[in-house]
Amino acid sequence: MLMMIRLIVTALFILSTPWSGLAEVQDETLLDIQVREIAKTLRCTVCQTENIWESGAPLAQQMRGVVRDRLKLGHSPEDIKEYFLSRYGDYIMMQPPAHGVNWFLWAGPFVLLLGGGLFLYKEVIGWVRRTPASPTAPPPPLDEKARQRLEHELES
Amino acid sequence: MTKSTQLTLVLVLLGLFYLFYEGLWGNPRHIPTVLIGTDAPMVEGPDVETGEMISLEQFKGKVVLLNFWASWCYECKVEHESVLELHRLFKDDPNFVMIGVNYQDKLPDAQQYLKEYGTTFAHMRDVKGQLAIDYGVYGVPETFVIDQQGKIRYKYVGPVTGHMYTKITQEIIAPLLKGQPVSTPS
Repeated sequence: MLMMIRLIVTALFILSTPWSGLAEVQDETLLDIQVREIAKTLRCTVCQTENIWESGAPLAQQMRGVVRDRLKLGHSPEDIKEYFLSRYGDYIMMQPPAHGVNWFLWAGPFVLLLGGGLFLYKEVIGWVRRTPASPTAPPPPLDEKARQRLEHELES
Repeated sequence: MTKSTQLTLVLVLLGLFYLFYEGLWGNPRHIPTVLIGTDAPMVEGPDVETGEMISLEQFKGKVVLLNFWASWCYECKVEHESVLELHRLFKDDPNFVMIGVNYQDKLPDAQQYLKEYGTTFAHMRDVKGQLAIDYGVYGVPETFVIDQQGKIRYKYVGPVTGHMYTKITQEIIAPLLKGQPVSTPS
């Protein structure tokens, strides 16, 4: 009987341990994914065009820590981004929020491209219109002396 | 090309030249902050020398100068004498408090730094970097002035020396201690 109880307890232990461990790993992985997704949207403020997920700078590491801590506390990704925005302003976002003067950043390249294209189109059309259809004007008539000289040279 | 097209082209080019000028020759220390006029985060941390907790909460109602520094930071050494002088200037005013915040540093290095260069005010440790992030700090040294209402009134990135020392002492702290308004561009 005692042997049987030992067997059952051992079996339960073996069965329960890996599953609980796996559950922890899955939780950790989910948290890691969330940290990564948020960290990729936040700029490393002491680096050149790097987000805090990719940067090895100490400040970026600490920012990742803050993201992780806040996720563990149950903050939503929007809350966390809002927190960083409130500390560093729009600069912290890898994609500047589309409001106010930031619209120039979003629309500027397209406006310049469109404006430049229209300008180029107008100029090309203008050049084409200003250019005469017949590229060469008829040559001026030869005077008598030149005509005789030309005939003489052709005959010789 | 019409006159209006030429004018537009010139204006666009001038705009682009201005952006290049600002990017290349503008003041790199000028980092706009969104914190001016907002409530100062009530941070706390252990004292670098004694280990006792220091909290900004206990200094509510006073003008507080927060100076972020590190022992490995060259510009912190450059400003150290000025910072001590600034404290000497206002330390007798009961409404003034100065707190150093030791940032991204090892405790023995920070303690050795204070021992070597001397200090006359308390310094708290930013153990996990959370304090610096709460204040939107980019690097060290950075200095913040908080008014009696607990609002951040001024932020400066770089060593508080020369004209910045004069500006902070005469145009920011002195008026705040007298209850006068200050113009505080970021």
